Amino acid sequence: MDRGWWWKFGMIVAVTLGTIWFLIPSYYSLVVMDRDQRNNLVLLQERLPKWAPPAKYRLNLGLDLQGGIHMVMRVDTKTALQKRTERRGQQIATYVADKKLGEVTADTDPEKLQLTLKAKDPATMDAIEKDVLSTFGDFKRISRSGDTLVLAPDETQVNRFREEAVDQAMLVIRRRIDKWGVAEVDVRKLGTDSIQISLPGRSNPEQAKELVGTTAQLEFRMVDDTNPQFFAQMLQNNPAPAGSDITLTDEGGFSQLQSPSREALLEYTKGKVPENRQVVTECIANPMKKNECASYRTYLLDKAVPLTGESLSGADASVNQMNEPEVNISFDPAGAREFEKLTEAGVGRRMAIVLDDNVHTAPNINEKIGGGRARITMGRMGARTREEWLGEAQTLALVLKAGALPAPVTVGEIRQVGASLGDELIKKGSLAALVGLGLVVLFMALYYRKAGIIADIALLLNGLLILAGLAFFNATLTLPGIAGFVLTLGIAVDANVLINERIREELGHGKSAKAAVDQGYDRAFWTIFDAHVTALIAGFILFFTGTGPVRGFATTLIVGLLASLFTSIVVTRVIMTYFVHGKNAQTVSV
Amino acid sequence: MQILKNKTNFDFIGKRKPAIFISTLVNIAILVGIATVGFNYGVDFAGGTVVELKFNHSISAADVRERAQKGGLHDVSVQNIGSADENAFLLRMGGVTQLTEENAEKAKKAIEALGPMRNVYADLANGIINFRSATPMAAETIKKAVEDSGTGVQEVRVLGESQAGAGTDYQVVASGMADKVYSALSAGLEKPDFEQRRVDYVGPQVGKQLRNRGVMALLYSMVAILIYVAFRFDFKFGPGALLAMIHDVIMVAGYYLVSRREFGLTAIAALLTIVGYSVNDTIVIYDRIREDMAKYKGKPLAEVINIAVNDTLGRTILTSGTTALSLIGLLIFGVGEIFDFAMAMLVGILVGTYSSVYIASPLTIWLDERAAAKEARHRDGMPKPA
Repeated sequence: MDRGWWWKFGMIVAVTLGTIWFLIPSYYSLVVMDRDQRNNLVLLQERLPKWAPPAKYRLNLGLDLQGGIHMVMRVDTKTALQKRTERRGQQIATYVADKKLGEVTADTDPEKLQLTLKAKDPATMDAIEKDVLSTFGDFKRISRSGDTLVLAPDETQVNRFREEAVDQAMLVIRRRIDKWGVAEVDVRKLGTDSIQISLPGRSNPEQAKELVGTTAQLEFRMVDDTNPQFFAQMLQNNPAPAGSDITLTDEGGFSQLQSPSREALLEYTKGKVPENRQVVTECIANPMKKNECASYRTYLLDKAVPLTGESLSGADASVNQMNEPEVNISFDPAGAREFEKLTEAGVGRRMAIVLDDNVHTAPNINEKIGGGRARITMGRMGARTREEWLGEAQTLALVLKAGALPAPVTVGEIRQVGASLGDELIKKGSLAALVGLGLVVLFMALYYRKAGIIADIALLLNGLLILAGLAFFNATLTLPGIAGFVLTLGIAVDANVLINERIREELGHGKSAKAAVDQGYDRAFWTIFDAHVTALIAGFILFFTGTGPVRGFATTLIVGLLASLFTSIVVTRVIMTYFVHGKNAQTVSV
Repeated sequence: MQILKNKTNFDFIGKRKPAIFISTLVNIAILVGIATVGFNYGVDFAGGTVVELKFNHSISAADVRERAQKGGLHDVSVQNIGSADENAFLLRMGGVTQLTEENAEKAKKAIEALGPMRNVYADLANGIINFRSATPMAAETIKKAVEDSGTGVQEVRVLGESQAGAGTDYQVVASGMADKVYSALSAGLEKPDFEQRRVDYVGPQVGKQLRNRGVMALLYSMVAILIYVAFRFDFKFGPGALLAMIHDVIMVAGYYLVSRREFGLTAIAALLTIVGYSVNDTIVIYDRIREDMAKYKGKPLAEVINIAVNDTLGRTILTSGTTALSLIGLLIFGVGEIFDFAMAMLVGILVGTYSSVYIASPLTIWLDERAAAKEARHRDGMPKPA
């Protein structure tokens, strides 16, 4: 036995022990813990022995196995586009009147998304067409006959708008689900106009639909700044409960409470504010992870909601002469009047922009704002780059628009799996996998005798490696994933068959046991390698183009193939070599 | 233990012509079948609603169907799943929302009857009706009007005053088919005697997207595998592997076509697995052919292939056998899609093994012969050295 062998043997032992160690959180999550608490990572972490891997590395069960709701929401970009086209139509009509080009009426076709301009005086249409098309670059001409000009929005503009609408909707949905407090939610974009949401452990699709399907609620509310030290005094009079992680912060002279847990903040402040006031939190974005809150901060707001997003007619981010990013907002006539009144009474106070019970920003009112147009200047603070500020301005514009321009979402797909069905499936699925595995193991041992048992050991390690791999990548085990598991084991068996057949063949040529084993492995290597790599290619493409269950299948396939390469080429060879070289056996039992 | 005691010497390649003929015929028949009859698309691809119900007492599928029809569900299919005493059923309906073409017409009329309206426009794909009312209205009034016309309403949204000041915009969101199932079946009951175990609900747009993505995944992986094979082996091996892959995929698609099993995302996963398996098998044999080509330099390729196929025959039988063995568990305990997956895999294993010999190799021989002929022509055309 040379040093190389010992080195490899040591590595295999380390990998095996590492694999078993790595599966401890999964074991606790699936076997030790109750079903309802399976997704409670905090509880899992508490139960785990100190030396175990962190709780987040546990095997996730797919919605099909543990029950839950999978939803695909379609963003109704069509309605939003229609609204936008209409608004632009009005702008064009106003523009034409302002420039004294004539007089046009604008009409929108909701189905075709086209804008029809009709001139009062057909003679003016030529000039109008020329001027309008050069000024409103986001429209292109469709047809023209006499006094009627038909326009349609430009394709690239439409696409950009669609994308924005989906981003808005995602923002809103994520905030709402956060508020609902579901652990392990997954919200992501699917295709061009859909959003995919996974809610494990949830069972009421109606409630979920209601939660994510209703339009966002945008409010403008006044901040109660009469006592800037309100929260500081609250904390002084009532010490925060232990473990709630509530700390005192200060922003521009106003005291605030901060905590990573929104619930803790709301629980603590409950009943400690005057009757017509309300504590609303602001999400402090996590710089490391997009769309996640690192912590929350409190605001004391008037309960009254003088103005809502319904009065808003537009919001855009831009950069002003001072090179500061700002958000320009405009209101409809009724909203403009209300806003003027509000700002007049509130000069010197802060006004909070609240979306779905979440404060986005609370700019200071410097003066009375009339005319229905307001500007929120982002200013510059700290060590943040201009891009970051501009990004923030854009987010705020997006938030405002989400309240202002409803791009409603509708349910495109719902899959709800009851918990009892999930349990039944996991039972049947694992039984199927075990039976398949058992039959193969038995057959190999019978057919190849000692070499078969070696292959079986590799096979079992392979199975553990797949599970540990899935746990490591935080992948989700789905029903098709179990099928993928079985298939990979089949491919692993193929590799062992290839090797053993080769060894038999070499023995048949009259080679010694040592030579037969060495050559068998060497010759089978490239075949096995090619076969695995081609299957891996299929797996990767499946992973990147597939969704949902297909993706789960692909993940298992990829992890399984990598594990199979290791076990069939390295593990079995080391064991084989031990018997042939180390024990100096003259025959090989294949 | 050994399956093949003695070295075999079958003339596989000699019978390649009739084999190719039959394969081509079957393949064309399947393609024609897909084009004319089409798959039995599952809810993943076709769109629609599937509800799984489990009753807490003994009931037959016919009874469930009757109850559904009494409750106003007409084109619903009811299928018993699991064993008879489980009382579990799969209900399948075409639509996703209650807004069918017929319902939308009625709803539109109902809305128009409420007052002066403009732009009443139903978007069936999303299950919504948009309209503009000259006068502001209560959401409840709209909801009631639409519900009375026979369409369940999930929400009436007030989209706000229109820019032109010509009225207020509203949006009616129809409720899902599953709600209708629930209310239809529990009609007249104090407490429903069933549990809604699963609701799958796929809109036609999403379905189309899923299908396109699935097919694209299939094409991409084939191309990627072709490139890999062309690089790793000789170019002349590539087309053979590709053709074998296509052959196998068509054959397995044929399984879904003929059995009328649901063709959904899991079926795509099965097809992709077959691509992997097929190429795995082809490559093992190619590897051997390449090795034997070096060993028996003078022999014609057809003969070398015969030797290689015979040499690897034991392995081929074993591998197909063990992989099939690992599927047995899925075939016995697998339900629904998983059973179909295992079945499709079984078909795939059989045709995959067959195609490595009878589809991939002949094409390689043919390409080899063509290349040899071209080279010969090239040589003859060259001026002879003096």
